[in-house]
Amino acid sequence: MAKVKINDTEIEVPNGTNMIEAAKLAGEEIPHYCYHPHLSIAGNCRMCLVETTTPRGPVLEIACNMQARDGLAIRTDTAQVLHMRKSVMEFLLVNHPLDCPICDQSGECRLQDYYMEHGQYDSRGLDPKVGKNKRQDIGDLIVLDAERCVQCSRCERFGDEVTGTGELRLMNRGDHTEIGMFPGDRLSHNYQGNLADICPVGALTNKDFRFQRRVWYLKETASVCTGCATGCNIQVCHQEGEVFRYLPRRNDQVNKSWMCDMGRLSYQEIAGLKRILKASVDGKAVEPDVATGEIATRIRAAGAAGVGFVLGTRATNEANWALLQMVRANVPGARIFVVEGNDGGQAAQGDTLLLSGDRNPNTAGARLLARHDGNVGDRLALLAALPELKLLVVLEDDVLGRLGAALPPVVFFGAFKNATAQAAAIVVPTAHPVEQDGSYINRQDRVQRVRRAVNPVGESAPAYVVVDRLGARLGKAPGTQMVAAAFNGMARAVERMRGLEFKGLGAEGRLLAPEAVTAVPGAEAST
Amino acid sequence: MALPAPRKKLSTPESVYLVEVIKGMFLTMSHVIKNILDQDRFRTIEYPDMRKPMAARYRGAHRLTTRPDGKVKCVACMCCPTICPAKCITIIAGEAADDPAEKFPIEFDIDMLRCIFCGFCVEACPKDAIRMDTKIYEINAYTRQDMVHNKSYMINLMDGLKPEAEDVYRAHPEQAPAGYTFDEKPVA
Ligand code: SF4
Ligand code: SF4
Ligand code: SF4
Ligand code: SF4
Ligand code: FES
Repeated sequence: MAKVKINDTEIEVPNGTNMIEAAKLAGEEIPHYCYHPHLSIAGNCRMCLVETTTPRGPVLEIACNMQARDGLAIRTDTAQVLHMRKSVMEFLLVNHPLDCPICDQSGECRLQDYYMEHGQYDSRGLDPKVGKNKRQDIGDLIVLDAERCVQCSRCERFGDEVTGTGELRLMNRGDHTEIGMFPGDRLSHNYQGNLADICPVGALTNKDFRFQRRVWYLKETASVCTGCATGCNIQVCHQEGEVFRYLPRRNDQVNKSWMCDMGRLSYQEIAGLKRILKASVDGKAVEPDVATGEIATRIRAAGAAGVGFVLGTRATNEANWALLQMVRANVPGARIFVVEGNDGGQAAQGDTLLLSGDRNPNTAGARLLARHDGNVGDRLALLAALPELKLLVVLEDDVLGRLGAALPPVVFFGAFKNATAQAAAIVVPTAHPVEQDGSYINRQDRVQRVRRAVNPVGESAPAYVVVDRLGARLGKAPGTQMVAAAFNGMARAVERMRGLEFKGLGAEGRLLAPEAVTAVPGAEAST
Repeated sequence: MALPAPRKKLSTPESVYLVEVIKGMFLTMSHVIKNILDQDRFRTIEYPDMRKPMAARYRGAHRLTTRPDGKVKCVACMCCPTICPAKCITIIAGEAADDPAEKFPIEFDIDMLRCIFCGFCVEACPKDAIRMDTKIYEINAYTRQDMVHNKSYMINLMDGLKPEAEDVYRAHPEQAPAGYTFDEKPVA
């Protein structure tokens, strides 16, 4: 640990902590462009200059390249520092086009923010500004405006250090330095959206979000991407019930500051044509209550031996827990399964950065509850049991596509019209992850929360509510209407979740307790 | 609870009805004589055949200004809907493929029933794209829907009408406010 002093605050941080981060801990914001916590240090924007005392007297040094060591003292409020910030701003804006009215960055632009905080000078420019290439289409998701660039080289370092593709380069010298790509080159990786996020100005902007909405209208809700088993932390940006974009949210344990484009664009399906809006029985639209009553009747008719239930690898823990409790209380003896795999039945490719080949957000959660119950079958068990089943109740997953075998009549609780939903006899719509509170467990066994950002579309409701209503019809409701109660009940019962609380999951999630070493015999087969 | 308004106690001449009536008649007659002697400053106008000249700063119905090439100046920056206290401006932005301005309003609606004529939108606009200098105060329609002025309505609002202020400014440019730019579209 090192004791450092930032202005008048003394704090203790681990040796070698970056001083911008240390200052943040001390409540002092050091303005910066080129520094990024998950990229190497370039030290070229000079915005982060702070004053330190040396044997030669006070000097200005860049904070981003300064590491905490015992006794280090910096000041961010001296006249010299403030003067330097102002001068750096003036320098960066000398050739800046000031496109703010048509620039998508405006509202979250470091140039705008720092000009208001540290600039506020009167323009002294006499020469015409140096023009550069505007509106360049450099990738499927990115538009580049070279005039707006402040040459921080974040995008260059992202390409070199994170994706390893190295497309963007700073070329030429002096005030003709221009960010660009080699002729014929084009961004082609699955992480392009991050370039627009890390660009501190409006040089790189997201084509999908371009001109859709001003950022200052958007409200942000901390959530988790449900595109794959990685569970990247995200901010859901929405206005008046409509979601406009996902942004990655920093979580050093999971996704650092990044997310993949597939996940980023998955917000489009929230209001997409594939959403199920209405409950239906045998193809006829009915009220969800009527459908729930009909499901209860058919479950009773099929009897415990004739009905199977499938937990969802795409469903929240609370929904799976609700189903488990509901079945054990109302239809004792009925068989429960978990069918892993990707919807549609095709294997998907993952990569070494973030994207997992398992495209379900909660495979680990479904496995955990299956193990806890100890009597849950896997896909082979379901295949073997199919001839005896007269009814199969499915939560979210495309069991039909995953099994590739004909199913008995299906009751489907889900948000999307997948193959199983289309073949199902009874469909009840459930809420999308951004429309409900709940938790998922990612591939590292990290329990993470999604939070309700917008209202559920159509007649949909969170799956744990829908299952609870079904339980009430069958006699005993599992009592999972309230999500926190559902989670806390589950956490008390499931061994590896002990000690977790819904409210205590925080912004970065909590890891499950490590697996007990002595595995219960027979538990392997159940996963 | 409504409180009774305090009543002024009347003085004796006031309480005599006739004195006040005669005073009122004198006032009326003085106006009649003034109007006859100074017809240029006639105090009664025969609306709608006659209209009062409005002050240069009068805030009338909004119009959208255009560039010399006829395209609307607005770049859909969303400053005016942001500042608008009545939240009555709705803009849908789009990308202008062949225009260096890149962004333009596909739709631009102002709900005049909600507008409070504060003029903030004009102040906020970085492009001088919206003005309230039309002096139009007869803003009326038969349906609520027609009270929503749309983009083409606001662009063409001044067709056949002269903005009075602009007239004055053209004749006496020194009177125009600092930085005033003339709308290049020829005014009929
Ligand atoms: S990059 Fe920032 S300062 Fe430059 S035009 Fe865009 S919003 Fe304005
Ligand atoms: S394009 Fe953006 S991220 Fe890249 S160097 Fe320029 S300002 Fe930095
Ligand atoms: S005048 Fe005021 S209320 Fe009316 S549109 Fe403009 S900003 Fe809104
Ligand atoms: S402030 Fe001006 S440029 Fe911006 S949206 Fe309104 S009218 Fe258009
Ligand atoms: S952030 Fe330190 S020089 Fe750019």
